[in-house]
Amino acid sequence: MNQRDLELLSSYLDGHLNPSDVTRLESRLKTDPQLASVLNDLRATRSLLRKLPQRRAPRNFTLTRKMAGQNPPLPRAYPFFRFATVFATLLFVFSFGANSLARQLATPGFGIGGGGGAAQDNTQLFSSEAAATQAPAMEAPATEAPTEPPAAMLPAPTLGATAEAGTRIETTPAQKNGDLSNATGLNPEQSRQAEQNPAPLIPSTWQIGLAALAVVGFLWMFLTHQLAARRWRKE
Amino acid sequence: MNEQALITDAQNGSLDAFNMLVLHYQDSVFNTALRILGDDDLAADATQDAFISAFKSIASFRGGSFKAWLMRTVTNACYDELRRQKRRPTTQLEPDTDDGDEMDSPRWLADPNMTPDQKAEADEVEHAIQHCLDNLPLEFKTVVIMADIQGMDYTEVAVSIRVPLGTIKSRLARARLRLRECLQGFEELLPASYRLEEGMNVS
Repeated sequence: MNQRDLELLSSYLDGHLNPSDVTRLESRLKTDPQLASVLNDLRATRSLLRKLPQRRAPRNFTLTRKMAGQNPPLPRAYPFFRFATVFATLLFVFSFGANSLARQLATPGFGIGGGGGAAQDNTQLFSSEAAATQAPAMEAPATEAPTEPPAAMLPAPTLGATAEAGTRIETTPAQKNGDLSNATGLNPEQSRQAEQNPAPLIPSTWQIGLAALAVVGFLWMFLTHQLAARRWRKE
Repeated sequence: MNEQALITDAQNGSLDAFNMLVLHYQDSVFNTALRILGDDDLAADATQDAFISAFKSIASFRGGSFKAWLMRTVTNACYDELRRQKRRPTTQLEPDTDDGDEMDSPRWLADPNMTPDQKAEADEVEHAIQHCLDNLPLEFKTVVIMADIQGMDYTEVAVSIRVPLGTIKSRLARARLRLRECLQGFEELLPASYRLEEGMNVS
């Protein structure tokens, strides 16, 4: 038996032969026992396959909204609020970075150009502090009771001396910068404080505002999402 | 159930309408996957994947037999699973007993409404057929599962696997022949009503 006959028999079994082919095949089947035997085998095989029990699905395969990739319908303003919240959060983070950078640039030793002079002054300050710390320590045996611990371990004279030395050396930058304190209307103490704590690039009120906007935005988004999901589940 | 109305609603995004179609077709889809893959868990996964994929692409359904379209989705999911298995061939198709031996006749396939004798008989037949199906080339197996086990029309099978009608006829004939030869090896296992005649040679 050839492949062509096999296909003819298979199609005949399923009723997919045209009438003329059916007539020809049926006449051959009457005279060819092997062909008839193959037809019976194919019929038995097909019958066996059709008797194979259909199994019930082990569970329901219905889709949840999550599986289907559907999201609850959100208000039209949602994307705008999301953008605003993210933007406020980014600005808030950026403001900290900017202020920190501005402070570092304003601190003596980190500046460019004029910073070199300040660094020198700083060195002087440290050396003055060290001298001031040592000075009372040397005087201590004369003024303090002998039973007291060594003056080098006592902080009190050191602090006083540091303040004194600090005041003494503060004149140096003022002198170097000419009459800057006079020009700005600040006394030397104020200008020293302004130098040590420069005004932030982004005011703290702005930072608070940005933080509040970010928090409110996140809360609004969270609540809107929860409400939409709850309403969606009920539908 | 008005299938066309449900399909239209599903195409408009109605998940409820699509789930009605799922409930109607899930047994057929699962059985097709089960016969192609030969494993319950893999078949369940492939069925779920097929329905998810079908929902996402239902807009592309342009009429005709919805069952054929769905079968194409499940056969694709099964082919993907088989490709995954080929890359990671670790899945066991037979369940182990407590001793760690493979069971000859997996009990999980049994219908709980059958008597013990019927169950044993059905197990043997089912096991034999599944074994022979597993030995068929994939393209033959898919055609014979759709045509003879799912009872689909030639045209539906052709649409499902996107091959010409003539190819379907040829593959089906050859698949039946191979199955017949394979099942002869299980002759003594099969009950008298299932036995096949001897003496078929095709050159």
